[in-house]
Order: sequence, then structure tokens, then C-alpha cells
Amino acid sequence: MTMTMAEPADIPETPVQTGEMDLVRRAQKGDLEAYDELVKRYQQRIYATIYHMTSNHEDANDLAQDAFIKAYSALKSFRGGSTFYTWVYRIAVNKTINFLKQRKNKHHFSLNDLDFHTENNPDLVALISDKTPVREVGLSELQKKLNEALMKLSEPHRMVVVLHDVQGQSHDEIAEIMDCNIGTVRSRLFYARQQLQGYLTEYAKPA
Amino acid sequence: MNQNEHNFDDLKKLLKLKQHEVPPPGYFNNFSGQVISRIRAGEAGRSQSFTERLQVEAPWAMSIFRIFETRPGLIGGFATSLCLLLVLAVVFAERSEHSSQNLLAISAEPAAASVGNSVTAMTAPTLATGSDNSGIVASTNPVTSLQPTATLFGQEGGSTLFQPASFMATGH
Repeated sequence: MTMTMAEPADIPETPVQTGEMDLVRRAQKGDLEAYDELVKRYQQRIYATIYHMTSNHEDANDLAQDAFIKAYSALKSFRGGSTFYTWVYRIAVNKTINFLKQRKNKHHFSLNDLDFHTENNPDLVALISDKTPVREVGLSELQKKLNEALMKLSEPHRMVVVLHDVQGQSHDEIAEIMDCNIGTVRSRLFYARQQLQGYLTEYAKPA
Repeated sequence: MNQNEHNFDDLKKLLKLKQHEVPPPGYFNNFSGQVISRIRAGEAGRSQSFTERLQVEAPWAMSIFRIFETRPGLIGGFATSLCLLLVLAVVFAERSEHSSQNLLAISAEPAAASVGNSVTAMTAPTLATGSDNSGIVASTNPVTSLQPTATLFGQEGGSTLFQPASFMATGH
């Protein structure tokens, strides 16, 4: 399986949208059309997070579907203490971490292709331009190395990096999703970045 | 902290590579549909499993249901007969209650008489009076206690019966 690249703008920026609670209430009463709407709202973010954690498209597909199905079956227990978005995210994160613990040290990459948008990213171009003469080969190699480095991190550290540096979540949101305090999020993020920098010294040298 | 964050600039740029990764085009067009289909299949499976279980555990009930499905008139007949059975059971229960009360009333008098006779027929322990008329009385009929007595070690003797001997008071 190969992975394609797309504009980050494809992913909705604001997770909480109007009418979410109305959809949740309808879904709690068994309205599958309302739940379908909720799935459509968050499917990309949930899938992306799981994909970046597993580096495997098929696993991400299964886990994302399982997370939404589990969320539906547990929807009656959702009291609205947090947003539906955070709640379903937490289910997905826990499901993914459990899956990765069971699959310990048996990483099977199923990465998607890179699309032409990546080549136009000036930051990435700058990173690889002086490393490899052929840009396309360089990006594929970079993608592989980056995924390998991420998979060397522990699940909680990888999750923090994925949620913050890849998904763009705030520390507060990550703390709520991972059920820990902000200090823990910050320290995990710092440690994970240090680790990654060590694995990717060729591409990410400290300033 | 700012110095540390500054040190991670290259890494953050590198991580942007993953930010662009998405599955093949059209993947999300079917995603929610697949989720909803699986939810529906799960719900249908749960209701199906009940009928399947009924079929295994009580096939006769399933055959009755099938008959009712093909002949709806039978449902009415079955329900009517059930109601009739219920009414009959109530009536029969009331009648049997009356007859048992009558029987009790008839048997009450002879029973009372026989109870009186049996009471008088019982031998009460007689009191033996001493020849010296000292006022001390003694029983001539021994009283048998059927209560089990404790053994030396405090354990109750299962079949041991306590039977005190009769005595006569003979003064001092």
C-alpha cells in the first residue's frame, strides 16, 4: 500500500462545529444518519492520527472503523463532559495504544505514496536538496526514515509528537485526550523530540 | 525552553512531511458508509442471534411461530383458548377452596371429641404421699426427658436419653 500526500487544509481546522450536540443526541436515540454525519466530520483526523501511530494504512483503516463503532455502542454513556470530538479521539487513542502493545516489535510498514504537493514544500525541499541529487528519491527515503524513527519511540511519546507536531493539537487538548496533565505532555514532547533528533541527525540537526 | 524549541526547528519541518500524508483519493467517500454498515450488521446480528438461539433451544416454539405466520386466524383461536383455560383454572380453584372449607367444618367436631378423649386418657403422674404425712410429696411415675444430654466433653449425645430414677422422700 502506498500513501499519497495532500494539502493539510483538507483536514477541518475547527473540530467543534455547530449542531454537534444535536447530532450526538439524535445518534444516542439510534439515529444512524446523525451518527454518519459525526463520522464524516472526524474521520480524517481520527484516521490520520492512527495512521501516523501505526505507519500502516490497513491497520489504520480497521482501527479507525473499530473506534467509531465502539464510540457508537458507548454513545449512551457520553454525558457531554467533554466534546464528542475529544471523547471519540480518546477512544481511538486507547484502541491504537492497546493494538500497538499487542503488536510489540512487529512493525509492518504500509506507507502511502507522496504526491507532488510535497515537492513544492520549501521547508522539505530545503532539507533534502543538499542531501540527495534526485529529489523524488530523497522524499521517499525521508518518509521511510521518518516513519522508522517514529516507530522507535514508545507509544505515549509517539502519540504526543503525532498529536502536537503532525496534527497540530494544543497541549490542553492532548492532555485531555491522553488523560494526563499538561506538564506530562510537555515533558513527553520534549523527550520525544530529543529522541527523534537523535535518530534523524542526518536531516534534523540542532541549530 | 525557547532555546530547546529553536533547536527542534529542523525536526518540526521534517515532521511536516507526515502532515501531508493521506490515504488514496476517494478513500473517505466510503469510510462512514462502511462504519454505518458494520453498525447495522452488528445490530442485525444481535437480533438474529436471538432467533437462532430460540431455534436451537426451543425448535417447537419456532415451528409454532411459523404456523402462526402462515395462518393468522390461529393466533386468535390460540389466545381465546388460553383465556378460557385461565378462566376455568380460576373457577376450579375457587370451587376446590369451598369444598376444602366444608370438609374442614365437618371434620372439626369429631376431631375435637377425639382430642378431649386422648387428653383424659393420658396418665398424669400421680403423687405419692408419704406415710408419715410430712408434707413432702413425690412422684411415683418417672418422667422421661427426651432431650439429649451433654456428654462429658460437652458434646451432645445423639441417642442418649436422660431418664431420672423415681424416688420417695422418706423424711430427713
